[in-house]
Order: sequence, then structure tokens, then C-alpha cells
Amino acid sequence: MLLQLNNIFKWVNSGGQRIFLLKDINLEVHEGEFISIMGPSGSGKSTLLNVIGMLDDFDEGEYDFLHESVHTLKEKHRANLYKEYIGFVFQSYHLLDDLTVKENLEMPLLYKKYKGSERKAMVADMLDRFNIVGKKDLFPAQLSGGQQQLVGVARALISNPKLILADEPTGNLNSQQSEEIMELFKKLNQEGVTIIQVTHSEKNAAYGSRIVSLLDGRKV
Amino acid sequence: MFKNHLKIAWRSLKKQPFFTFLNIFGLAIGIAGGLLISLYIYDELSYDKMFADADRIHRVHADIKFGGDARKFAVTPAPMAESVQNDFSEVELAMRFRTQGSLLLRKTGTEANIKELGTTFVDSTFFKMFGLELVSGDIKTALKSPNTLILTKTAAAKHFETNEAVGQTLILDNDDAYTVTGIIDDFPENSFLREHTVFMAMSGYEDSRLVNWGSNNYQTYIKLIPSANIEDIQEPLRGFLSKYVIPGVQQFMPGITEKQFKAAGNYLTYSTMPLTDIHLKSDRVAEISANNDVQSIYILSFIAIFLLVLACVNFMNLSTAHSLKRAKEVGIRKTLGSNKGELIRQFLIESGIVSFASMLLAIILTIVLLPLFNDLADKNISMPYANSFFWLILVGAAILLGLFSGSYPAFFMSNFAPVKVLKGGGSSSIGGGKVRNALVIFQFAISVFLIISTLVVYQQLDYIQNKDLGFSKDQVLIVNDAFSLGNQADSFKEEVKKLSYVKNATLSSFFPTPSSRSDSTFAPEEGLTDQENALSMQRWGVDYDYVATMGFEIIAGRDFDRNFKNDSTSIIVNESAVSVIGISALEAIGKRYTPDLSDENPTFYTIIGVVKDFHFSPFRAEIKSLSLHLSDRAYALAVKLESGNFSNALTGIEDIWNTVAPGQPFDYYFMEDSFNDTYQSEKRLGSIFFIFTGLSILIACLGLFGLAAFNAEKRTKEIGIRKVLGASISQISYRLSIDFLKLVGIAILVSLPLGWFAMNKWLEDFSYHIEIGIWVFVLAAVLAIVISILTVSYQSIKAAIVNPVKSLRAE
Repeated sequence: MLLQLNNIFKWVNSGGQRIFLLKDINLEVHEGEFISIMGPSGSGKSTLLNVIGMLDDFDEGEYDFLHESVHTLKEKHRANLYKEYIGFVFQSYHLLDDLTVKENLEMPLLYKKYKGSERKAMVADMLDRFNIVGKKDLFPAQLSGGQQQLVGVARALISNPKLILADEPTGNLNSQQSEEIMELFKKLNQEGVTIIQVTHSEKNAAYGSRIVSLLDGRKV
Repeated sequence: MFKNHLKIAWRSLKKQPFFTFLNIFGLAIGIAGGLLISLYIYDELSYDKMFADADRIHRVHADIKFGGDARKFAVTPAPMAESVQNDFSEVELAMRFRTQGSLLLRKTGTEANIKELGTTFVDSTFFKMFGLELVSGDIKTALKSPNTLILTKTAAAKHFETNEAVGQTLILDNDDAYTVTGIIDDFPENSFLREHTVFMAMSGYEDSRLVNWGSNNYQTYIKLIPSANIEDIQEPLRGFLSKYVIPGVQQFMPGITEKQFKAAGNYLTYSTMPLTDIHLKSDRVAEISANNDVQSIYILSFIAIFLLVLACVNFMNLSTAHSLKRAKEVGIRKTLGSNKGELIRQFLIESGIVSFASMLLAIILTIVLLPLFNDLADKNISMPYANSFFWLILVGAAILLGLFSGSYPAFFMSNFAPVKVLKGGGSSSIGGGKVRNALVIFQFAISVFLIISTLVVYQQLDYIQNKDLGFSKDQVLIVNDAFSLGNQADSFKEEVKKLSYVKNATLSSFFPTPSSRSDSTFAPEEGLTDQENALSMQRWGVDYDYVATMGFEIIAGRDFDRNFKNDSTSIIVNESAVSVIGISALEAIGKRYTPDLSDENPTFYTIIGVVKDFHFSPFRAEIKSLSLHLSDRAYALAVKLESGNFSNALTGIEDIWNTVAPGQPFDYYFMEDSFNDTYQSEKRLGSIFFIFTGLSILIACLGLFGLAAFNAEKRTKEIGIRKVLGASISQISYRLSIDFLKLVGIAILVSLPLGWFAMNKWLEDFSYHIEIGIWVFVLAAVLAIVISILTVSYQSIKAAIVNPVKSLRAE
């Protein structure tokens, strides 16, 4: 078991009313799964993903990640946890504009205090694996959307996370680019990486092994 | 990691050249200003510290109230030095100066005199007291015997080859012959002896051996033994009044006791001041050299700190505003595993780079501006390039500034929640607005405060320059050294008076502008020995043309007149003297007074006229009592010219001078210049205020300009929507500007009372000063508003004319 959510609630108070963003969510994720979270706009998909990624708090419930109770951890500890095991992929790539492809890939390694030689080897390996060696010195603005997302995925993968969280990873891409990214995810999943993606597209969801559907913050 | 931080910092700075420029330039101006002021203050604090054992040297001085006026003297009676040395075991050494002002010097066998401005008699312990060494000559005998002197190198070089000077003879004021017995190095600019070049042996000065406790003419310095505490001699020093002074006074006021003396409201207190404090803390009668006021050091320190804080505030403001753009970066970094500490380090490194770049620019600015600043401050400061401590401080300051100004933005930005900023909640979700507003208010409050200060200082200067002084300083030329003409002085004066462009001329040593002063205690004919009637007055020797040439107004009685045979025993007094006596001007006419208190048969002077008060000491001081009497000893000739052709007048007078005094230097100055010199320190303060106010406004405007730019950018979408809905360009520019103007308005409200309070305090120092008018505040406020409108409107209008389609699509 990779992670387990038990009776997760998240809400905001607005005008004296409590609006639930997540309502009584229970979810078990095992290693090697490829889960797609689906649902209409505002159903809480991204919120759920952020909770799983420990970027966002929840108000009630229990969250165990690799047998650690996330809800009892201090922020610093929690950050260490996701630093170690989780990689993020965003809809709008979120590469750092000031850094080259190579430097963007290196960034997570810096925060994990890898040595210079190790970093170099890992970056080179990743560039190879994604076939983007020729682009290593380009800046994000010089790449197409598909290429940027490729870098985004490579960056998420570089420190060998157990879990990849992808929030509409193909939302800004055309169909051909989308397909490439999804194929990549499938391949990674086959290699053993657990993936949770948020998507609107039935086609993309079909790549996954399981679909979690949300409506108004509730699992349906 | 550090290398990575540096790289990213460098790129992000390079990416925003305008923003980076604003930041670096603003900070550099602040640092350069602070650096200049620090160098100035450092120089001011260094005065007289170069003397060996400077910390053990003190000056004895006297606070005296006797016969009306309370005076603080930097001088003591002649026997003071010997008495302190004999009476106190704590005193290792004592020595005296008896300053002589300027003297004419010539080598025996030559005709041409050379004038030396700073000359003084000194005791032979001079060398030991200040740890001086001779460049040539024998220190054991130099200054021991009468009619010997030592010279500074510069003074010696005017007459001799330096190595030949010792043993030669110089004639002083065409009269006494002195042997040169030694040469010393020139005194440094920051020593109290900087203007002194000729030191004569005290043993040849008769007056110095008289035990006369009644007149104060000697600057007395003492050196303590290393273990002594100066406080231990203060009490016994005060005891000198009963021990020495009262017995001395009893000679001419028989039967006077200390009790009576004090009961009449008089006092006489001797005390001491450390040598190294004198330059900034002493403002007494008969200082050896002009001192500075410690207050100006405080004011300047405040300005320096203001400037630096302003510049840092600017940096904080711009950085936090700029952080809107970097929010996304923070979010990504956090999701990639960066913790707060690392982000803070990242931003601090950035501010560190900016601060080092600013420091470099500031050093360049300082080097470029130093000559101008020296001119302004009348200083000779140089960058202490060779001083490693100086560089250490600069590097330390750069680090501190970087940390200080970078800390708020760093903590502010590292707190962004990644979920919010990555979701494109964007600008609205980022706070810090309140802090930014407070910082803008702070900056403008300081600027408005400085504007008010500048206006008041300038107004006071203007007041001083245009106030009715009671005499006419314009078109008065003063020719020095008339005494050197001997009995030809009168004919010189008569010749000059014949020139067509000369209105009048008068011979005297005393002028309302800085010149000789002579203080005497007068007693009335009735009640001669009654100390309560004693009247302390300036006693100026003048001639028949004095009152007319100076343009004094006689308010009672008459001027001196050649037709009255006994005018040699007449005096004219000023209004202040009459009011101290406590009678009206008319009643004063005919009263008889004498300055010869200790004489058996005193000469009585009859008051024949009263002149309207005129300012003969700086405006800081009140006008004191003064008397004029006829005298044929005069140091200078004052010539009142017709307005217009000054150069003609000058050549005319110089021609006459050269015929009556061939070989003597023709030395002159205009009274107005001398008057203006008196207010140098106020003028300096005025210009310094003006310049630094300008700088602080410039920094504040840089900040406001940057903020307005970011504000406009942040509201691009709002502007687009408003325009689509039909808002005009002027409506939008107004909307964008008004927020800033509100802040400036608050700043004005804050600074007005502060400015009013501070400037009233400053004006209190002047006995004659302006009242601060409402218009000062109105003008300061209007200036601040106009400047900020100009600064903000460029950005606002630029944002308002953008095509809305563009800005909306960009979202």
C-alpha cells in the first residue's frame, strides 16, 4: 500500500456557510497503479490531487503515506516526505523561465543535496532517456508545448519518485502531443512508477488502470 | 547550491534590467550620500587626536558673569598655568598660548613684508605638551629665550631655504627682531593649530609674567599624569575664585567679598574641557581656531541614516512589488522540494548582489562627487584608499544592507503558498500591500520633512542676509595693515578720501564684521566702587569718520566732532548698553564712566551719543553692550565706496598705498564678504540640506515610479475590462494615480508637525530669527504632490492607453 485516505473532508467558510471542497473521501492507492481522477469543473479533482501531494491541507480525516500519518506531521517533515517520494507534473508545465532545460532538470536534485557529479550523471541519463539531449541548453520559451511538458515530466521523474501526480498534464497540448505524453506515462507505469492524473479526457483516462470520479467533492 | 543561487540571481536580475537599475541606482545614491557624510563625520571626529597623549590634555577655561554680561571664555588669566601646575599634583605640565592674530614678517636686510595670519606667543613647554619634534633646531633651547621664534615649514620656506632658517633673524611688524630657533612640520588640517605658523617665545612677552587675575587672555592647556582623573581637580579649580581672584579684585574694589560678588548675581567658574572635545563642543570667546557645532554632526548623521533607510525601503518596496512576477517561481520551487530556508537564502543572495553592485556604484559616485562635496563643506577629505579597515567596513555595510533590505522581501516571498500561486490566483492572492503602503508613506514623510527643513534654513539665511543690520556692509572695502604705515596712516586716509569714487573712510581696528574685539568693565562716576553698577562693554577705538562711514544711526546726542576739544574723553554707546544701565537714551547723555577701575586717578568718559543697536556678532548671539571712543591706533582703513566701479576704486587706493608704503603687501577685503563668511556654517547647512533633500526625493521618486509600474502591470486586466466597458483614458489614469496620491497625502500630514517642531528647535539657536509661516508647509505639500503626480502619471497614462484587446487576451 502506497497511500490511504480515510474520511477526508476539506471546506471553506464563505458568508457564514460551510462549502465543502472534499467530502468524506476514502481512497487506497497501491504501488504500481495508474489512477485517473475525473469529474466536471469544480468537482474537487485538483484539490484532491493537492491534498495527496501534501501541497494543501485538509480539515478532517486521516492520510497515511507509506505508513506515516501525514495529518500528524509537521510541515517541515511533510515537505521532506513529498520531496523524497512525489513528483509533480502541471498543466502549464511550470518550468522556470530563467533556467535552461538542463538546469530545470537539475533543480530537484539540488534541493535533495546530490553531489555535483551525481547530478550531472542523472541529468544526462534523463536527457538521454527522453531524447532531448539536443535541447539541453535551450530555455523553456524556445520549446514547443509538447517539448516543455516532456521536460516537465522528466523533471518530475529525475529523483526517482514513487508517485507522480499530474494535474491535467495534456490540458495545454494538441492531440498528437497529448498522445505522446500519455504513452510516456503508460511506459513509466509499466516500469513501476505509480501515477495519479487529473483529466477531463475519457481517452486519457483510458490509459489508467482505475478511474476515480468526483462530483461536488464527493466520490461517485 | 550556492553557485546555483548565484546563477539564478544573476539571470533574474538581468532579465529585468529596468527594475534592477532602479534598485541598484536608488541604493547607490543612498550609500554614496551616507558614505560622503560618514567621511565628513569621521574627519570631524578626528580633530586633535594626532597629538601624543591627546587624551591627557585638557584646556582650562572660564565662565564669567560680571557687570551685566555673562560670557564663556576659552581663555584664562595669565597666572592660571603656573597656579594649576603648582597647586595640583595631578597636573604634569601646563602651557599657554597668547594669540596675536596676523603679523608682518621680513628677513633682516629686505624691504618686503610677508603677512602671516596665525601667530602666537607660546610657553617653552609647547613641545612637551603636544609631543612635537623639530625638523631643525635644538628642542632644548628653542623658545627658551626672549625674542626667539619657531616657524612651520611652510612659513619658513617663504623667507629662507628650510635648512638655513635656524639662526636667521626676522623683523616682526617692522619693529622687533626675532631669531629663528627651530622649524616644525605644518600642523595637519584637523588640528586646532592648523592656521598657526609662527610661534614666539612667551618669555619675551611682558604681560605673561604679571600676576593679573582680572583679565583673560591666555589659552591654557594642561596635561595630566597618566593615573589622574580630571574630575578630581574641578572642585579645587572652582576654589580659585576665593583663593586668587577675589584678593586680586580687592585691589581696586576694596572690601569686596566673594559673598557680595555672588550676591550681585555675578559668578566666575573655572573648568576644563578635553582637547579632543574642543572642536565639536566648544563655542567660546577667543577660541584658537573656529570650531564646528556638534549639532551639525547630529543633523548630518540623521540625514545619512535617513538616506540609507530610504534607499533600503525603496529596495523592499520594489522587490515585494516585483514578487508578483516571481510568485510562480516560488510555487514551482516549493513543489520541487525547496524549503523556506532555501528560498530565503536565494532571495537574500539576490539582494546581496544588488547591494554589492550598489556599493561599487556608490564608491564610484563618491569618488566623482568628493571634490564637489569638499567644496561645499569647505573640507579637504580624501578617500582613505590605503585603510583596510575602511574597505572592511564597506564590505560589511554592503552585506548588512543586503540582509536588511532583502530580509522583508525574502520572508514575504518565501511564504507564498504554492497551491495558490500556481493556480493563477495571481496578484490578488499576494498580500504585502499594506506594508508597501506604509513604506511609501514613510519615504514621503521623510522627503516632505526635508523639504520643510530646507525651506526654513534658506528662509533664515535670507533673513540674515537682508535684515537691517544697523550698519551698511555694502561697498565697504577694508584695507588691512594700516598700522604698518605708522604716522602716515592719517595722510593715507586723507588721500583716499580725496578719490572721486570714495564716499568716506575711517581708521579703526574694530568692525561689525569679525575683527578685533576688546572687552572692558566700566564703572560710573557715582558709585565707582560699587560692583553692582559695573558695566561690561565692548570698547572700540575709532576716529571721527567712523559712525558716518559705517552708517550707524545716532538716536540721541551727537557724533564725535573735531570742533569739540574734549571729545578725546567722550564715548558713544549703543542702545543695549543704555538698557543694561536701565535708563533712556536721552538720560544717558552726559553720564560719565571709566574703564580704569584699578587706577588711582581714573579717566572718566562722558557719554555724548547713543547709536542704534547694530549686529556686531553673529545672529546666534544677542547684541551686547558696546562703546566707541576716539583712538589713533588703528589696524585697518575702512573705505565706503560709491556703488559701481569697484575695480577703479581698488586700483586708485592701491596706487596710494604703494606710494606711502612701498614694499608692504596691499591686503584688503570687502566687508560684505567677511559678513557672509560669518554665516558659512549656516550656508553650508543650507546647501547640504538642499542636496540631500534632492537626493531623498529622487530616491523616493525612483521607488514610486517602480511601484506605479508594477501597479499598472498588476491591474492590466482590470484596466482592459474598464476600457471595454467604456472608461476614458483620463478616468483610468486618475484611478491608477489616486491611490498613490492618498499615500503621499498621509505622508504630508505625518511630516508637517514633525517639521514644525524640529525647525522651531533649530531656530531657537538664533537670537534673531524668522517665524515659520504657513506657506512653508503649503509649499512643501504642494511640491510633494506635484512631484509624485509627475512620477506616477507617466506609468498610469502608459497603462491607460494600451489596447484592451491585448491585455485581455494575455490573461
